[in-house]
Amino acid sequence: MSADVILAVRGVSKSFRGLKAVRDVSFEVPRGAICSLIGPNGAGKSTFFNLVTGYFRPDSGTILFEGRDIAGASPVDVAHLGVARAFQIAKPFPGMSVTENVRIGALFGRAGPRDVEAVTQSAMQLAGLAELHDREARELTVGQLRRLEVARALAARPSLLLADEPCAGLNPTETAEMVAILRRARDAGATVVLVEHDMPAVMEISDTVLVLEAGALIAQGAPQAIARDPRVIAAYLGTEE
Amino acid sequence: MKLFVSGRSAWVSIAITLAGALLFALLPAFLSPYGVRVGQLFVLAAGLAVAWTVLGGFSGYWSFGNAAFVGTGAFVAALIELALPGWSPAGAFTVALLAAMLLNGLLALVIAWPILRLRGIYFAIAMLGVSQVCYELVSNIDALRGALGVNLIDIVPKDVRPERFYYWALLLAATAIILIAICVRHSKLGYGLLAIREDEDTARMLGVPTAPYKISAFVISAMLTAMMGVIYAHNLGYITANSVFRNEFNLNVIVYSLLGGMGTIIGPIVGAGVMTYVTQVLLGDLLDIHMFITGLLLAILVLAAPNGLYGIYDTYRLRLKRQKREAGR
Repeated sequence: MSADVILAVRGVSKSFRGLKAVRDVSFEVPRGAICSLIGPNGAGKSTFFNLVTGYFRPDSGTILFEGRDIAGASPVDVAHLGVARAFQIAKPFPGMSVTENVRIGALFGRAGPRDVEAVTQSAMQLAGLAELHDREARELTVGQLRRLEVARALAARPSLLLADEPCAGLNPTETAEMVAILRRARDAGATVVLVEHDMPAVMEISDTVLVLEAGALIAQGAPQAIARDPRVIAAYLGTEE
Repeated sequence: MKLFVSGRSAWVSIAITLAGALLFALLPAFLSPYGVRVGQLFVLAAGLAVAWTVLGGFSGYWSFGNAAFVGTGAFVAALIELALPGWSPAGAFTVALLAAMLLNGLLALVIAWPILRLRGIYFAIAMLGVSQVCYELVSNIDALRGALGVNLIDIVPKDVRPERFYYWALLLAATAIILIAICVRHSKLGYGLLAIREDEDTARMLGVPTAPYKISAFVISAMLTAMMGVIYAHNLGYITANSVFRNEFNLNVIVYSLLGGMGTIIGPIVGAGVMTYVTQVLLGDLLDIHMFITGLLLAILVLAAPNGLYGIYDTYRLRLKRQKREAGR
């Protein structure tokens, strides 16, 4: 494995009571890339995130993060190694201010204790939350909550950010903002893997697109190539029998 | 390493606590002996409720069995004092207090491993079981003297009135508990506990070491509860299992938080104050029906203000903030 591959997934499978949610998936994510995971509902995208973050243990296969097999490691250990996750349904701490929410990400992330404040501030800047710093999380709109979710994940100083549908439910302006935020996150040193349904956003932001269908990886490549791939079109629109 | 994550608000809270404690320390000069006894009840209730909050309020793991630590603390202290005849009262009391706190910390540590894996209502019920088991053990093992009862040494100095002395002792302990709770709340531990309360799985994915954090809070909560229990037992002078393993210790601490504001430190203090005032002063002459009226009041409050008195204040504060912001535009 070359040094500039941050995440290498090899032959990973996971079943739930006989249902194969992820089957024999292998791919690599180069360091510094923005990589999108797409596929119809139930294709195994979220399961895949749960496998990488240690929430589930794969039945077989290896997940190499920076050369280390993290398959089956605990979520806490995976987080400390430098993998952060932003949830689709934003899970901020409602009674806390924006700053406090982001600070929790920094406190338990990889910043040294002296850098917590600086990291908190820069993550809020990056996510465009600086003006909302003293707002309480429960006062925020859906779009602001999503940005808070990403800011809190980034405050952990992750080398890999997993973003679960960061653009779902956002209006076009908010989506454009989110795309810019993820780009800035990448420029700040994080590799970004996102699960996303918003195709224009995926096309605009991704270096690579991976397509899952029924748990199997059916295609991967540059966004334009993926958009023309007959297997992908069939997976999304169905085929004429 | 910084002690506080949010230093400024921590120091403000500490200053308010110290000022408040000083004010309360002066109260006996203006109160009748009966008034001082009501004060004792309030300070005891507040101390126990804040000790409970360190685990229950911050992390959301509601213990329905904190009487276990009140009672175990009281009996450990009593039995140790029995074993130290001839010691000066101050010396024996100090050893007994420290031993009771340590042993309760240890007890919490031992039971934490199996029962803190339980979430929500299952943890609450398991703790109810723990307090029941402790009560039965102390009641039924003759050497522990729970059925027979046991005397505690008299630690009141000659020239101080006992009700005042215990008021001050309980106040000192409660102040220490509140200060420790503030330190926990504003430290990394406190932020981790809040994250656990909001969503334990999210907390884990953010890198919060949930198991050690929950156990730490549990041990701290148990030790502080035991400290209160030891002083309370000396105030009683003579204890049986029935007088210290009391179900109201299990339930009232939760009621105070519900009433005042769950998860905050001020909430259980205010809740303890309101409940003590209502039951001891307002309804003091209506002993026959005071439990009935208390229950009714609680039901009304929980329905009208599910987040307690602090919740009412908080809603008002948020509205003010919003108005100010809109006016500023």
